Amino acid sequence: MLRRLEALALQVRRAVSGQMGGERRSRRRGQSVEFADFRNYTPGDDFRLIDWNAYARLDRFMLRLFVAEEELPLSLFLDLSGSMDWGRPNKADTARRLAGAVAYVALAALDRVRLTVFAEGPTSGGAPYRGRRAATELFARLQSFPTGGATNYEKLVWPIGRQRPGMSVLITDGLGEPGVDAALAAMQRAQQEGAVLQLLAPQELTPDWSGDARLRDAETGIEREFTATPLTQRAYLNALEQRTKGIERAAHRRGLRFARLSTDQPIDEMVQLTLRHIGLLA
Amino acid sequence: MTVLAPAAAVLGLTLPVIIALYFLKIRRPTRIVPALHLWPNQIRDRQANVPWQRLRPSWLLFLQLLAAAVLVAAAVQPVLPAGAALARHSIVLIDTSASMQATDVTPSRLAEAKRQANGLIDQLGPQDRMTIITVGPSPRIVTAVTGDRDALHRALNDVTANNGPADLSASLSLAAGLVRAGDDARAYLFSDGIVQPLRASFATGLPYPVDYHRIGVSGENVGLTSLTVRSSAQTRAAYLHVQNFGQQPRSVSLEWRADNRLLDVRPLTLAAGQSQDLVFPVPGDATSVTAHFSGSDVFALDDAATAVAKTPRAFRVLLVTPGNVFLEQALRLRTDLQVDVVAPAAYKPSAAYAMSLFDRFAPASLPDGPLVMIDPPIGSQLAGGSPVGIGRVRAADAGDPLLANVDLQDVHVARSQDLRVSSFGRPLISSLQTPLLLVRDEPFRQALFGFDLHESDLPLRIAFPILVQNLSEWMLPPSVPSHSFHPDEPVTIVPESGATSVNVSRPDGSRRALAGAAIATFGDTDLTGLYTVEQTVAGSIQRSWFSVNLFSDPISQLKPLDRLTLPPTRTTAVQATHPGQLEIWPWIALAALGIVTAEWLAFHRGL
Repeated sequence: MLRRLEALALQVRRAVSGQMGGERRSRRRGQSVEFADFRNYTPGDDFRLIDWNAYARLDRFMLRLFVAEEELPLSLFLDLSGSMDWGRPNKADTARRLAGAVAYVALAALDRVRLTVFAEGPTSGGAPYRGRRAATELFARLQSFPTGGATNYEKLVWPIGRQRPGMSVLITDGLGEPGVDAALAAMQRAQQEGAVLQLLAPQELTPDWSGDARLRDAETGIEREFTATPLTQRAYLNALEQRTKGIERAAHRRGLRFARLSTDQPIDEMVQLTLRHIGLLA
Repeated sequence: MTVLAPAAAVLGLTLPVIIALYFLKIRRPTRIVPALHLWPNQIRDRQANVPWQRLRPSWLLFLQLLAAAVLVAAAVQPVLPAGAALARHSIVLIDTSASMQATDVTPSRLAEAKRQANGLIDQLGPQDRMTIITVGPSPRIVTAVTGDRDALHRALNDVTANNGPADLSASLSLAAGLVRAGDDARAYLFSDGIVQPLRASFATGLPYPVDYHRIGVSGENVGLTSLTVRSSAQTRAAYLHVQNFGQQPRSVSLEWRADNRLLDVRPLTLAAGQSQDLVFPVPGDATSVTAHFSGSDVFALDDAATAVAKTPRAFRVLLVTPGNVFLEQALRLRTDLQVDVVAPAAYKPSAAYAMSLFDRFAPASLPDGPLVMIDPPIGSQLAGGSPVGIGRVRAADAGDPLLANVDLQDVHVARSQDLRVSSFGRPLISSLQTPLLLVRDEPFRQALFGFDLHESDLPLRIAFPILVQNLSEWMLPPSVPSHSFHPDEPVTIVPESGATSVNVSRPDGSRRALAGAAIATFGDTDLTGLYTVEQTVAGSIQRSWFSVNLFSDPISQLKPLDRLTLPPTRTTAVQATHPGQLEIWPWIALAALGIVTAEWLAFHRGL
């Protein structure tokens, strides 16, 4: 699977500017094989960039400039709230694996990966990861985070705002209150391309129970007596659909891609089909 | 309003039980959901098993309580007082005669009578009994003394009309036989009042009162009341009588057919109450003729009439006499008799004659067959004792049909043989001294006059040709009478000599087989129209016909009677009545079904 992931790359719509050289076209001039422009030599310039043929013709020192190739900063925001610790297969487990797959695609392309998990508040996943060798550490780090707590998307606004222009991927079930809109607005302000990946369990998409029950919220622990009937099933599915469409509209409004994923999909299928389909990977 | 099953009110305990179930709190399994706010605020107790909780107002609770209450109301079987006054034993006399086929009430008088009688059945209480008797040409008990309302409904709905008259006397007598002394009985007569006159046998009254329920509203009817075919030497003609019995002028179109061939169509306009006689030609080869008129009429049975046009086959009759003009003339009055007159000296026995008359002559051996022996010579086979003088003449039995219309008031006989010791048969005409006329049925229909007709003034009286006519028709009835009969009137069929089979085809095409050589009475004459009698004689089929028509002015008059003169009720008859009951539980149960359906819908709509 990792080999198949290496054949993929994050797809950005505009050139990026990273801190270190990479494989992405940069708006800055740098070292690559792709010619960009000429300019006059000024003291302090690298002698190796002087175009000696131009000096012979013009009797002036001219510097030959090339397109710089830089890394892509990828920020992964992973929802590990209490609602994600639910379903068969478990949403949090699936989210970790999905985040690892997306991160590996970036690491394989020498992009820089920053990991942030969140529930009631954001938790940094440590220093940015770069290079394939960092993948093992990142995978281990993903598994080390516990799940639980209520979802608070508003707490994501500050860490998102600190990101340099690049790509951000938010993996969540989108069920927290208030909604994910504040985080998406922050991503737009921080000039983040990227995607919102809504991850739901099959049992959420098609409830497999009926009758009387005491419902307990996975995040808040609030309980409520309830009687499931075909009518209430329809009302629930309608509310879920409205929630999904709201997230999708908000993402598209802010130039972000959106996909709703079910945990019973294989990770390979999510990456190769869904994420490529929405244009996150190429 | 009263209830028939008050004990069922105990089912009302289900109402507090339902409420108690709502007080019970349900034990609900805990289910963790990722987002509680996505689930609607829906709670309903479906299975209570833990006490107690606060009673919450609920549409379901309301509907369930309402349904249970309505079902309990149906279970106690409430009844409403109905209009009719019922006795413990109700006798429904339902008129099924011809006039009940009139359609002046929709769909027919009989259907309306059945509807009203069905309403009476619905009002029967649990202790009440009912008997249903039809009033037709002959009474019929449809159901006898039962309280099974389903059986009564079924039996009543199976009652059909017939084309005959309504013999109310017979039905009342039959009903009287079902009522025991002291019974609380009452009869309900559903009829248009067009019934045969009541017989005098109810002078002592009926053991039950009779409530007359008039059926029908109109007497607007045009009918054919007579159709006869008469032959003369040159032609044959049919005489038809048409009458408008209604109060409004009517225009009809009259069709005239011979053997179903249309011969003539005549428009006819009749004023209110007007009648008209019409003459139609009859083709020489026609077997039957039919008159039929079309137009809107509430009574179809008298809209058609059929008559036989074929002349009946003649009988050969032998009269052996030294001379008797009176007897010869009297015999020739019957058109279907071919009379051969011979002198006693010329008499030769012959099997060709259907009947023989011996006047003052006795053959050596009597022929096998009908005969009339008049004043046999002394010493002959049937001769009586020495002549005796006779005074007044009287009928041995005034009700004997052979003496119908025979007036013996002024008849005198000078002398007669003494027949007191004769074993010939029963006396028909007698005197103080001796029987004068004996008749017998076995071995053949035969008659013996003890006196010479010339020594009596009987041949000078109108009674004589009538007596001869009666005797000849009794001895020699026409094989198939060709005149018209009324519906359900029996027809006597005398098979031809040597007939091996006799079949009768009815107007609807159905066939009835009669016993071969015996005189038979055919009673299946309920349908109007032409009947064909087929006799197989020596391998060939001989056909003869008779017709059945309504031809009844009282029935065609059709106007229902507002009041019907009925026999009085005996003073000893019990006349206690109680109001009828109308059970309403089916409607209440229907309402309960609707409420349960609403509850089901409410449950599935999550109310």
